[in-house]
Amino acid sequence: MNGTKEKGDAEIISLCSLRVGDAAFGMDTQQIHEVLGASVLQPVPLSHDFVGGVIPYRGDVLLVVCTRRLLGLEPLGKVLNLLVLRDEVENELFGLAVDAVDDVLTVDAASFEANPCTLTAAQKAIFAGAYKLRDGVIVRLEPELLRPSRLAEIQFPGLGIRTAAGVA
Amino acid sequence: MDELIKEFLVESQEGLDRMERCLTELELQPDNRELLAEIFRAVHTIKGTTGFLALPRLEKLAHAGEHLLGLLRDGRLQATRTVVDALLALLDRLRSILQIIGATGQEGKRECDDDTALIALLDDLRESGGVAPVREAAAMPTAPAIPVEQNTRATQPTDQTLRVDVDTMNRMMNLVGELVLTRNQILQANGSGEQFTALTRRLDGVTADLRETVMRARTQPVGQLFQKFPRMVRDLAQSCARCVRLDFDGQETRLDKSLLEALKDPLTHALRNAVDHGIESPGDRVRSGKALEGVIRLSARHEGGQVVIEVADDGGGISAENVLKRAVERGLLTPERALTLSETEALQIVFAPGFSTRDAVTVVSGRGVGMDVVRSNVESVGGVVELESKLGEGTTLRMRVPLTLAIVPALVVRCGPSSFAIPQNAVCELLLVMRRDESRMVQTIGDAPMLRLREELLPLVSLNDLLGLAKHIDNGYYVAVLEAKGRRFGLMVDDLLDPQEIVVKPLARVLRASGVFSGASVLGNGELALILDLSGLATRARLDLAETSAADVSARAAEAVEASRAEGTSVLIFEGCGGERGAIPLHAVERIERLMPEQVEYCGGVALMQITGGFLPLEDAGGLLLNGAGDSVTVVVCHRGAEVNSRIGLVVERVLNIAEAEVLLPQQSHGGRLALVQERLATMQAGFEDLERAA
Repeated sequence: MNGTKEKGDAEIISLCSLRVGDAAFGMDTQQIHEVLGASVLQPVPLSHDFVGGVIPYRGDVLLVVCTRRLLGLEPLGKVLNLLVLRDEVENELFGLAVDAVDDVLTVDAASFEANPCTLTAAQKAIFAGAYKLRDGVIVRLEPELLRPSRLAEIQFPGLGIRTAAGVA
Repeated sequence: MDELIKEFLVESQEGLDRMERCLTELELQPDNRELLAEIFRAVHTIKGTTGFLALPRLEKLAHAGEHLLGLLRDGRLQATRTVVDALLALLDRLRSILQIIGATGQEGKRECDDDTALIALLDDLRESGGVAPVREAAAMPTAPAIPVEQNTRATQPTDQTLRVDVDTMNRMMNLVGELVLTRNQILQANGSGEQFTALTRRLDGVTADLRETVMRARTQPVGQLFQKFPRMVRDLAQSCARCVRLDFDGQETRLDKSLLEALKDPLTHALRNAVDHGIESPGDRVRSGKALEGVIRLSARHEGGQVVIEVADDGGGISAENVLKRAVERGLLTPERALTLSETEALQIVFAPGFSTRDAVTVVSGRGVGMDVVRSNVESVGGVVELESKLGEGTTLRMRVPLTLAIVPALVVRCGPSSFAIPQNAVCELLLVMRRDESRMVQTIGDAPMLRLREELLPLVSLNDLLGLAKHIDNGYYVAVLEAKGRRFGLMVDDLLDPQEIVVKPLARVLRASGVFSGASVLGNGELALILDLSGLATRARLDLAETSAADVSARAAEAVEASRAEGTSVLIFEGCGGERGAIPLHAVERIERLMPEQVEYCGGVALMQITGGFLPLEDAGGLLLNGAGDSVTVVVCHRGAEVNSRIGLVVERVLNIAEAEVLLPQQSHGGRLALVQERLATMQAGFEDLERAA
């Protein structure tokens, strides 16, 4: 992925648009290491609910965060698209499973809006804000908010996600 | 920094490490010429190079040291304690200067960086022929504090470099060349038939070789780490007035370089604890009938896909009672909770932050930091720490570190839809349990299924249940008999796949939190298998690991006689005649059998049952054999001691449960010996007193 940030009068951000369920999301292309196609996840018993499983990736074993579970949706049973992102705190890579990866959009940084206060606590915890597009909005996702080491520590009251599933 | 200086620093550090080791040995064998020559060489090399690199401060010091060492080497001077002390002071000074050079590129010109006192001391020793000079006390310089030490540690050139044989390096290069060549050929082959098979085979060979070579280059013998300790132990022993010998074992065990670095601090702490808290003062040792000299054993070995490093001392051991008392005093534990803890659990408190059994804070230890640091350090590299202690006999601290990046032979098992890998070293035996044999091979005590394996009863754990996976319904399942933490248990799995060599990949921290998985591996078919961490698994399955298994009863029974205090004991609870509850130490139990009345034979008025190769007297206190006419009876086969003829069969109404029991003291109970089990009373079966104490 060659994420290019064009320097102009207005700051332009190139967003990779993603789809999970009916919702549209975007992530800065510079934050994405790689986009993988359909992959088979190996489930991990006794792990947190947001863990979709693990996959082998270039000599490492990546933990894959299931976005559908984070949003309170039923997992599809198969993973169609996977983003490889970096957890800066633990300094390791992790995967983010989404339903689809669409185009790369360019948005104006000025069109950014913070999370509205009416979001549920769980959504506030994982959404980074939103960009206004001509025909709607696109929710910005950030690897920092989705890194497993962070998700393991926060509570998701609205979604019935157990924080430490089976961790004695 | 200058490349030359960098190289000099690395080389000198190695030289000084060698010198340190030799010096501690020299103290024991002052006439060993070889050691002297080795020390001389180290100092001489430093002196030679410093002249060339224009480091006058180092040169002067090294020169004074070399002079003294020259006399020692030629036998004109005796290596007395004073001389060795002075040489160690020289070593420390050289080291601190090297550190300053590493941090600043300069030798250090501050006021405290004055070496004249030390040089004068060395000169005095040379002239007086090794007799302690009068002005020693004043002249003996304390090593100057190095303010830059902490923040520059990570960037010390020695920590960042790895010495690899040129041969190994050449071999790697060769193999990489071969790999490139094979790739080119594969690209040209276009996947066409016969040639392709040959190429894949070649690729396989090259990869295997390359892997092995790289792995070997990354690992270093633990001896490299161990050799830093004799000096430390010597100094500590002197300052604590202890008499200590440090023994090594398994120094050649190879471990990943990064792991070696990570283990340095915890081992230092552990040794410190062993010298200061473990080994008693010489007077106490003699009084308790031990050798004057305490022994600390530092050993390393591979076990179950892990490297086990042990620090064992033959000192006073840790008193669980004392630990609990201390923990309550320090507010780490409520008095009520303290009463419910077993001895093993009590020992675990030692790892709690802020814990210390010392009354006085000494320079060496007693500030309540230490063991928790040991644990967190070892856990940060994915290892575990175990503590075993026997009052009066010593303490063993065991660190188990995984071989990250290592390749281990493993057994791959299947459970539900997933595969799991079990380190091969832990696997003792594999069994197939068919449905129709299940009732014979698997028996339950209370709710706990037990596997009957020849003469043993082993706890049986279902991997499906433990991991919450769907149960596989078929006409049978496999049981892998495993050994973890010295305890054997059976693990029920759906299917067994091939044993294979797997490459251990680390898992994200979040996934390691459950303690059940130590890593993951990619199998031949591209599928991922999670590697089971057996001690974590055992803990999760609530296999009380402190419990004595029936297998080693005889060994433990002998030890039990020596144990003096009654502690919480695991007991088998049964219902005797008239619903009375009785209890018998669990490790006295061998197995439980159902007996039909006609299988009971009588000889001279004694009820007997036949067992393989003999008979067993039946003890029937409640008269169940006579009264329960026609019904089968339950017999608990158990033994009273280590001897073969101490086995008996205990006739009981039924077996109830296994639980922790607290044996009440005679004055608390009326007549017979009572035990408090799960808040109810049970009579302890007479004749098993010795076994009750083996915790």
